Amino acid sequence: MTVIALGPGVDEPADVIGGKAHGLVTLMRLGLPVPPGFVVGTAVCRAFLRDGRLPDGLEEELDAAVEALGGGPVSVRSGAVVSMPGMMNTLLDVSGPVAGAVREIFSSWNTQRAVTYRELHGIAHNLGTAVVVQRMVFGERGGSGVAFSRDPSNGEKTLYGDVLLGQRGDAVVDGRSSTLPLTALEPGLRAELADALTRAERHYRDACHVEFTFESGRLWLLQVRPGGLTAPAAVRVAVDLADEGLITRREAVARITPRHLRAAAVPRMLGGDIVARGRGASPGVATGRIALTADHAVSMPGPVILVRPVTSPHDLHGMAAATGIVTSRGGLASHAAVVARSLGKPAVVDATSVDDRLLPAGTMVTIDGTSGEVALGRAGLSTAITNGHVHRLLQWADDLSGDHSPRPAEERLAAAYPNQRER
Amino acid sequence: MNVVLHALRCIGFADLSRVADAAGVSGARAESELIDLAVDGLVTREMGAWGLTEAGRAEDARQTAAELDSADGRAAVGSAYERFMVLNPELLDLCSAWQLRTIDGVTAANDHRDPTYDRKVLDLFGELDRRAQPVCAELAGTLPRFGRYRERLGAALGRARAGALEELADSMTSYHVVWFQLHEDLLVTLGRPRT
Repeated sequence: MTVIALGPGVDEPADVIGGKAHGLVTLMRLGLPVPPGFVVGTAVCRAFLRDGRLPDGLEEELDAAVEALGGGPVSVRSGAVVSMPGMMNTLLDVSGPVAGAVREIFSSWNTQRAVTYRELHGIAHNLGTAVVVQRMVFGERGGSGVAFSRDPSNGEKTLYGDVLLGQRGDAVVDGRSSTLPLTALEPGLRAELADALTRAERHYRDACHVEFTFESGRLWLLQVRPGGLTAPAAVRVAVDLADEGLITRREAVARITPRHLRAAAVPRMLGGDIVARGRGASPGVATGRIALTADHAVSMPGPVILVRPVTSPHDLHGMAAATGIVTSRGGLASHAAVVARSLGKPAVVDATSVDDRLLPAGTMVTIDGTSGEVALGRAGLSTAITNGHVHRLLQWADDLSGDHSPRPAEERLAAAYPNQRER
Repeated sequence: MNVVLHALRCIGFADLSRVADAAGVSGARAESELIDLAVDGLVTREMGAWGLTEAGRAEDARQTAAELDSADGRAAVGSAYERFMVLNPELLDLCSAWQLRTIDGVTAANDHRDPTYDRKVLDLFGELDRRAQPVCAELAGTLPRFGRYRERLGAALGRARAGALEELADSMTSYHVVWFQLHEDLLVTLGRPRT
């Protein structure tokens, strides 16, 4: 059987049906709303890449499976066993035969960029991707977004995320339009999302995030993933999950590596009045007055945050003069992100203002290049030294090693697992 | 077509040596050219670096469009640009991988203490460069000034291979910065906005 209908009874591992389908099956088992659909397994992709054509009979099987969904428009998405964000295609609102879309997604496994991505991340080239086909749900008739069970920036236990009203999910991911916080959702939907994330957390025993769409007031979940937290958030979530009894203290300590501690020690912005959010592209915190052109960044007295839609070589001198950089477009791998890192300057990319607040040139702001947040004024700094969660986690590590002597944090963590190499 | 004016259009505010290197002319010739351009109000010099004026930008746009038309190169440059834009996200992925590493879900600066990883990224840069060469050659076949990018990209890669780690993504003469300028040049030449 090469085409498998999504349902709570599917019992195939992620390497057969891909990570996305595996997560959707998990959501269905938890009784959560997932648009009806089916998955074409990774073995079919491997056969396609080997033979250069779909296996005999697959097109008929696909036609029958689409017909079983009601014959209306569908979404066709890639779903490899290992996440490769942005590397493969997604086709929305496909009507009629889907074989062409399936071929396109299978082929996108071997674009040169995807091959390079796998080389960089040590992912085997022969895995192939699954393809998930689902009845199309229309965010245009409601909205779509991403929701986290805990704030991925600091780990606080609160429903967190972004929603685009009246738009499809791909617009959220592309960052083409400005998003709203989840408080923009009506309370009933928000409660439903919070409940779904609580159930997912109990299952994965970890913080989770979901992609969602609501259509005519009805919530649908399109993807679930555990993790996805910044290092300080990962520390806090490990400690909180142990306190909540979802994992043991030993598991909490095992989840945190010296790398988390080092990354969590990078200074972070202390909350404040958040006026824009994007993605942290170059870590660190910077405070300064907004300059909207590179020339102003050079000529304005005092520290400056250069804010641009995108950057060109004509912004390089402004970036060099600025203490921090914000762009409203582009991603973590954009020219602006690469240049900001090369200059060692904090940067936020893909930033959109919160509640459409406009920040004129000269406004004092603070940016956090880890969380991607932009706050009004001079927001203070926090460091790991003041972080109670790190202290508690290390206390638990000492309890495990039996050594309570004063020594560096990484040694205390390592002593709890003496037989492991540095993880 | 004034190559010094156009170099400044593609690299932004820069000191004399960078202008000369980008234009592929001697420092003396670049300086003499820049002084003439300044007299005409097309460039300015501030704090030791040269920059374009609005008039200079307009004049370069005019010259670039005239050059493209006289070479009848719009289709060829357009097609090379499409190929460049397939390579561009991959190059940016590689620069990011050179600067940052994600291990155990934690993203941190690449401390360059893992020679195996660095070698892998450097090799992938070389592999991408090999695929970028025909695009540059196609451009240079239409507009010879594009040949300078081939030389500068190759030189940056050579310096990185010789151990100058900052020459891939982290200096003003890095492979990434030259690539960024080539990207700008393509947009300027085709008269397209950056998106």
